[in-house]
Amino acid sequence: MVFSSHIFLFYFLPAVLLIYYLLPRGRNVFLTLVSYVFYGWWQPWFVVLMMFSTGLDYLCGGIISRPGAGSRVRRMALVAAILGDLGLLAFFKYYTFTAENLNRLASLLGGSGHGFLPVFAVALPIGISFYTFESMSYTIDVYRGIVKPARSLSDLSCFISLFPHLVAGPIVRYNIIAEQLEHREHTVEKFTEGVALFILGFAKKILLANPMGSVADAVFNANAPYALDAWVGVIAYAFQIYFDFSAYSDMAIGLARMFGFIIPKNFATPYVSESITEFWRRWHISLSTWLRDYLYIPLGGNQRSPRRTYFNLGLVMLLGGLWHGANWTFLAWGAYHGSLLATERWCGKKSLYSWLPRPGRVAVTFVLVLISWALFRSPDISHALSYLGCMFGWTAASGPAALLSSEIYTPHHLAILAICACLSFWRYEVYDFVIELNWSKALVLAPLFLLAIAAMFTQSFNPFLYFQF
Amino acid sequence: MPLHRLAGFVALCLLLVSCGAPPALDREVTTLGTTEVTARLVEIPGPFPANDLYNYAYVFKYRIVSVHRGQVEGNEIFVAHYNPLKARSKARDEFSGNLGGHLQRFRAGDIHRMALQAPLDQYWMGGVIDKYHTEKGQRYWAVWTNLETK
Amino acid sequence: MPLSYRPWLIGFFLAVIYSLPLSQVAVEASHGEWPQALDVFRQTPTAANLRSFERDTEHASAAVAFVRPWVQSLRFELFRDPGEKTTLGSGGWLFYKPDVQYLVEPCRLDSVPENSPVRAIVRFRDQLASRSIGLLVIPMPAKPSVYPDRLAARSLPGGSLGWTHTQELLELLGRAGVETVDLRDSLVLWRGQSAGYLKRDTHWSAAAARKAAELVAARILASDPGIVGSTEYLTRPVSIDRRGDLVRMLEAPSLERTLPAEPVECDQVYAKRTGELYTDDPHSPVLVLGDSYLRMYQTDEPNAAGFIAHLARELRTSLTSIVNDGGASTLVRRQLARSPDLLAGKRLVIWEFVERDIRFGAEGWQDVPLPAVQASSPASGGKLR
Repeated sequence: MVFSSHIFLFYFLPAVLLIYYLLPRGRNVFLTLVSYVFYGWWQPWFVVLMMFSTGLDYLCGGIISRPGAGSRVRRMALVAAILGDLGLLAFFKYYTFTAENLNRLASLLGGSGHGFLPVFAVALPIGISFYTFESMSYTIDVYRGIVKPARSLSDLSCFISLFPHLVAGPIVRYNIIAEQLEHREHTVEKFTEGVALFILGFAKKILLANPMGSVADAVFNANAPYALDAWVGVIAYAFQIYFDFSAYSDMAIGLARMFGFIIPKNFATPYVSESITEFWRRWHISLSTWLRDYLYIPLGGNQRSPRRTYFNLGLVMLLGGLWHGANWTFLAWGAYHGSLLATERWCGKKSLYSWLPRPGRVAVTFVLVLISWALFRSPDISHALSYLGCMFGWTAASGPAALLSSEIYTPHHLAILAICACLSFWRYEVYDFVIELNWSKALVLAPLFLLAIAAMFTQSFNPFLYFQF
Repeated sequence: MPLHRLAGFVALCLLLVSCGAPPALDREVTTLGTTEVTARLVEIPGPFPANDLYNYAYVFKYRIVSVHRGQVEGNEIFVAHYNPLKARSKARDEFSGNLGGHLQRFRAGDIHRMALQAPLDQYWMGGVIDKYHTEKGQRYWAVWTNLETK
Repeated sequence: MPLSYRPWLIGFFLAVIYSLPLSQVAVEASHGEWPQALDVFRQTPTAANLRSFERDTEHASAAVAFVRPWVQSLRFELFRDPGEKTTLGSGGWLFYKPDVQYLVEPCRLDSVPENSPVRAIVRFRDQLASRSIGLLVIPMPAKPSVYPDRLAARSLPGGSLGWTHTQELLELLGRAGVETVDLRDSLVLWRGQSAGYLKRDTHWSAAAARKAAELVAARILASDPGIVGSTEYLTRPVSIDRRGDLVRMLEAPSLERTLPAEPVECDQVYAKRTGELYTDDPHSPVLVLGDSYLRMYQTDEPNAAGFIAHLARELRTSLTSIVNDGGASTLVRRQLARSPDLLAGKRLVIWEFVERDIRFGAEGWQDVPLPAVQASSPASGGKLR
């Protein structure tokens, strides 16, 4: 189910809020059940996978924390949980990609290319990357002794399936939720902040991200666009992915607050970054900190030789790219960011252009990020190279691509593009807006909500971009 | 906590307002067309066409429950419904000719009572999405369609 | 910090999210219907059923139906934004978005062999040839191909879009020995002679349809003069007002009222001997298959003034036609397969389809086997020479 859909906003959410607040007890169980409904709405059997993953991590967490458990048993339980979680992810997300590429390689090496590994279409359960990382972090944290094991399977199920953050994050750690599962306050203040965050996220998605998405789609789908159009297209995509993904996070955080949970923010005005290192401190914070804590630091982080640090950065970003999907474009995107981060590390945690004035540093960082988005958005590597060729004038534009201007440069799109630019380069997040709510802000939120709903009524189905990851 | 009270109030409103009555039968289904059947919709064989520029008719397969008027060969028939994305009462337009009924939406397994015309090409000259085009059999044009309570 | 705005904001939010489903249930109850929302409990929760329920819920929403036209009007008035299905060109010209998409986006003509237009057309040509019937294919240029300057912000070399997927298809068909007519350059030329397309409709003017018919007839007669008949037709001018189909796609009735219908000058075709308007003849030696371009002015208002009537006038023989709106890629051949008797006595089939159908044709480009002809044997027809 999509937050910005008719069915969620006018049926699921009202019904869940109503029953939740009518229930005197058993609210966590109720939230777990409705979260399964929320998740199963996409494809009911996906719920079974999530239950399996939850059950496995609960079991392994229990074994790890059992009094008197030997280190070998604990380690085996940890490995079993990680293999189980990653096995699910590997099969559902990466099997087809791996099989196709191995078959291609076998063909290049002289084999027939057929039958080395059977290729079949595997349905990708939405949000599997998110909940797999969450459940893995639980078992690892239990093993590390950072958190106590879950009181019950119901608690762990509630943590993993909690519908606000289930499908597209933020990637929440168990230690953040554990206490709240046991005791959390439901206050008018918290509910109001939740409503405000939800409205702001909803408006960002409907009024900003979706129109930018139609510009980006038009340009990226075009055959050899003009250079200017290609740049506008990738800028539109940069705004789309930011306002789409951050909108989901805002709505998730807002919804969680309506049910009494506090979960951390996921974005901090990433496009004002003055370097790629800073960008990754501001973009998808829950993923970058997850990768730092569960991959980069265990690999040795920056505590070994400089070469090892560069290698670690590269590897972490490569896997971070792969986390987004089974496609060479994501690997290229990860490798590109990894090499930029390694370069900045080599320069002493500074960018190569640190001598520029601040607006220049922000602009160059933004351009570097745009290049990465061209890789990220393209359906395959050849399209990505062709698109980059169009951006830099290496590829000649096709004649019919001239018609794109009618789709891109409409007054509506230009106005939204300008608003997105202003909001992206302003160091002010929705969290800042919500911290000090008052009457005037409430009076802004009300018409904004109505406007976004009215706009939603005219838009076709537009799921969040990060659903596919 | 005022949120509790509000929740109770909304629940009461929902209960009160949900007390509708099932639709009554109409006469058209027994008088229009040349054939009248009650039949179960076997399946929905694919997505309905988007009616952007043109409206299409979409062929469904039905299993006959009973024949009220006219003659039907076999126990399965193919029926073309105009613009199946719309409720039957809202599907009629300048191109469709007279059609209607109480049916709100098409769901596999539902039983419909229908007034039909045949052959299809004499009543509808526009686009026909027929996923069963390799299967032989008369194509009917649905004039009136009501949902039958099972 | 005063506390009072908080309950107000919560109350407002809850009022909005509860009022819509409650009002919907009330509307449905007033029509004597069960709440549609309860349908979710009446069906097996499969992914397909849930998608269908979700779509039905949105389609059935009285609030959506009420609000959408107002928002569309507002978007158009404020931003000149014509919605998701249409594109606004210069001078208030409206275009159908898939027509633009077809030209701008890549289109691999043979990427899926079982859905390849080249394969389907060649197969159809061969099926007809086995019955000694010729085939003439006319991919109809859509409006953006003829009026690219009204969409493009930058100047086009030679005022043309250059090489498009349609040109590629024509080349591939030419290589396969399929007879074709490319109308694009002629239509670009005719638009300067008041014989172009309508401003707020996807289709051409009656004058363009007439000129196209004359051009196609000249081509047929040059190849097969024996096809000409003996019926003499005359024309008489008729004026109609046409409200464009693209205006309807704005989905804003208030806008529709402000955008006036376009006057269209037509030439109605009638038989000199009887004075009756042109009508089709199922026994004609020529069968025309096509889409709404052929329906325009022919079975639509004013009748007998479209491409088919003017082609018949030029060929001096009435024609057989199957016109299938938006379905000229596959559906029209299926319709022919349901009435194979129509092929009896034919010597030429003319197959028109709008160029966007090369990529977006309803049901793609499927192979449609033609059943054996049951009626009398074909006339002394043959391949278009």
